[in-house]
Amino acid sequence: MGAAVTLAAAGSAVVWVAPVSGSSGGGTVTLTVGVTQDVDSPNVTVGYTVAAYELWNLQYATLTDKAADDFATIPGLASTWDASDDGLTYTYHLREGLKWSDGQPLTAEDVAWTVNTSRDQEWYNHSSVTANLDAVALDDVTVQITSAVPDPKLPTMDVYILPKHIWEGPAADDVTAFDALDGVGSGPFTLKEWKPGQEWTMVANPNYWQGQPKIDQVVFRVYTEGGAMVTALEKGELDAANDIPAELFADLGTQPNIVTVAGAQGGFTELAMNGMAGGIGDGHPALLDLNVRHAVAMAIDRQQLFDRVALGIGLPLTVLGVSPDQEWLPEIPDAEKLGYDPEAAKALLEDNGYKDTDGDGIREMPGGGEPLVFRYAERSEGTQGAAIRELITGWLKEVGIGTEVSVYDDTQLGDIIYAGTYDLFVWGWTPFVDPDPMLSYFTCDQVTYDADEAGYNDANWCSPEYDALYVQQNQELDHAKRVELVHEMIRMFNTQSTYVVLYHDADTQAYRTDRFTGWLQQPKGTGPVIFSNSSPTYFNLTPIESSGSDDGGLGTGALIAIIAGAVVLVGLIVFFAMRSRSSREDRE
Amino acid sequence: MSAAVAWARRRASAADAWRRLRRDRLAMTALIVLVAFVVMALIAPLVSDRADFDAINTGGNPTNSSPSGQFVLGTDGLGRSMALQVMWGARISLLVGFSATVLMIVLGVVVGLAAGFFGGWIDAVLMRITDWFMVIPFLPLAIVLASVLERGVGTIVLVIGITSWPSTARLIRSQVLSIRERLYVDRARALGAGKGHIIGRHILPNVTPLILANTTLAVPIAILTETTLSFLGLGDPTQVSWGGLLERAGTTAVKAGYWWEYLPPGVGIVLVVLAFTIIGRAVEEVLDPRLRAR
Repeated sequence: MGAAVTLAAAGSAVVWVAPVSGSSGGGTVTLTVGVTQDVDSPNVTVGYTVAAYELWNLQYATLTDKAADDFATIPGLASTWDASDDGLTYTYHLREGLKWSDGQPLTAEDVAWTVNTSRDQEWYNHSSVTANLDAVALDDVTVQITSAVPDPKLPTMDVYILPKHIWEGPAADDVTAFDALDGVGSGPFTLKEWKPGQEWTMVANPNYWQGQPKIDQVVFRVYTEGGAMVTALEKGELDAANDIPAELFADLGTQPNIVTVAGAQGGFTELAMNGMAGGIGDGHPALLDLNVRHAVAMAIDRQQLFDRVALGIGLPLTVLGVSPDQEWLPEIPDAEKLGYDPEAAKALLEDNGYKDTDGDGIREMPGGGEPLVFRYAERSEGTQGAAIRELITGWLKEVGIGTEVSVYDDTQLGDIIYAGTYDLFVWGWTPFVDPDPMLSYFTCDQVTYDADEAGYNDANWCSPEYDALYVQQNQELDHAKRVELVHEMIRMFNTQSTYVVLYHDADTQAYRTDRFTGWLQQPKGTGPVIFSNSSPTYFNLTPIESSGSDDGGLGTGALIAIIAGAVVLVGLIVFFAMRSRSSREDRE
Repeated sequence: MSAAVAWARRRASAADAWRRLRRDRLAMTALIVLVAFVVMALIAPLVSDRADFDAINTGGNPTNSSPSGQFVLGTDGLGRSMALQVMWGARISLLVGFSATVLMIVLGVVVGLAAGFFGGWIDAVLMRITDWFMVIPFLPLAIVLASVLERGVGTIVLVIGITSWPSTARLIRSQVLSIRERLYVDRARALGAGKGHIIGRHILPNVTPLILANTTLAVPIAILTETTLSFLGLGDPTQVSWGGLLERAGTTAVKAGYWWEYLPPGVGIVLVVLAFTIIGRAVEEVLDPRLRAR
């Protein structure tokens, strides 16, 4: 428990000397992970951040699991399954004696309830999988799942199974209003405490179907400063960290006992433009013009962003990432790439009537009037938002497009996206293994029509042709044909420039090798060790006995920082000393 | 006629004050430092172009490079010259410092004068408002205001001005209370002088030294507050200021040992704040005979 009390200042630049986390002080083995993004909501029908997915990956087991090495579908809560002859119905046989972390039995009824309720209520994270499914519990350990349409994803059942006895009540009312702090799950660790903005703690689940984890608890500590997080990792206060600043990544890999991983899983960073398909919000009318969106795309030098901001870590791809498997990504013809060409961007705007009529360097809508000034929402979480903004706003200005910058944390950003009160934002996605969920996010169904019922379609773009293709691939059992369909969809989406995909980023992670063994890259060799698709690392970790203490010597950087700090401090002391003298005299 | 005499006397005493100030070596050094920074801020647009350190134009520069002949204070992660950014950053930091001070002094003087001079219920109401602003913890209020209002230099000025005026108001009020009761004010009133005349001719000239000293001491507070707010990420993200530079360097530059990315703006803040404080103290001593000869 020792580590739990040291977190008051997590996230600030304060360097706190924590008890050595990996050692079993007081009998509790704690794994401490540094992150730069907080959980937005522990409720699986509400949250959308990568941090929240890590929480759910640990808390909820799935019917079928994903192999750490290659995402192959392997037994999970179900040990075996059989398919019907028509391939529409699968019968899953659950393991005997499954229990929730609170000791309640986990039965086929929980599975059936989750599938059916998530379908009926269109839960955020479930609906792309369960939309066409119907589940029946034949007995306590047998559940039959029937798809209304041919489903290429089956028998894989990649959805979190929720405890019916906890969720039934909230689901009967309004499931999205549930705080989900119950901490009841079937995965290796369950949520014990969440301090927003600081940390969340997950404790081992003794009833996990693979057995008791060898770690007692996992603490995720939220940092607003990447440098502070890296320092904590080097000092051994953290055992692993996600989202290491690119600038510190190369050097960190040379430190003793630290291994760095640039894990690829198809994630990308995009500039999104408000398409206003939901009819709410107040996006800039110019963004409804495809020519303007194309001009924005062509004004941005994406290769330069990859080289200068991502520092070449990741892939310089500008195509929508839908899966860690690149097979799903089409080759975009040069003519459709909308590569960097500011002159063409200017000409496109000029030819379509967006001229600078008042000579202020910013174009106006055709016929004068409203200037082409877009609200740019910058993300404060993560480590690259400011640098990306500097470059993009600079390039847009070059072609005569102005910007107004506001900075938001992820929860605030989510709120303005739902409300539609933005023009541009830069954020990213990490896709699942199957391309279906990522593709589903751009369907009309996922557009937010009412800010209280938010959808995933954050750029509010939708098209009937795209939707038709989505349904087709969703039911195409011939893999090669499905790949073709997905390629077509991605190309169509690309030409719409609703998203300008800037680059595919890698998850810059690092872990210490002197406290735990068993770190797993998912997929093997190329993927991340934590924040991966099903996060198998945590259960696989074994503490190393007699972890040596490191001296944590100071580098030159730290020394100079201390000297600088001292200079500032002395100055301030003199300043305040003189002030207090003057105020004392004022009172005489 | 008598007004001319009064003005001549004031001019003479101002000249005397300046003479005394010039004998204060420390204050003169501080003044030179300050003038140097102000000149640096003023000439920034003459010797360089804002576009010189626009990230889109610095792609060819070395990144995070230590000070060299080409870049005397090195470059940051996007290849931008730190020397230019520190120069341009001084503009915002000083501009905010000065404008916020003007705002806080004007507010403080108006409230203090009104409360002290009119007394009665006006005094009571104004002083309760002042008390209210005084007891609210300053930084949280500033942070809340800065995050609620639209981001920008104007907001920062407003936030600092609104949160820092009460001490000036109290100071001025107490001085006004004592001046109001002096004999020559009574005489002026007996001779039929109006309130405007008394405030303009007798009270204001007498609190001016106090205002002056208070102003010099308020500027560093304003600059430090600007730095704090920018460091907390509440400044205008599109403007370069010293606090903003420190925020951007964050712990990443510290961790990586890029001292040239945070030391120059930090030293700049310390020097300017110190200079103002030293000058403020000197001015106070010169204008207030009681503080002399120690």
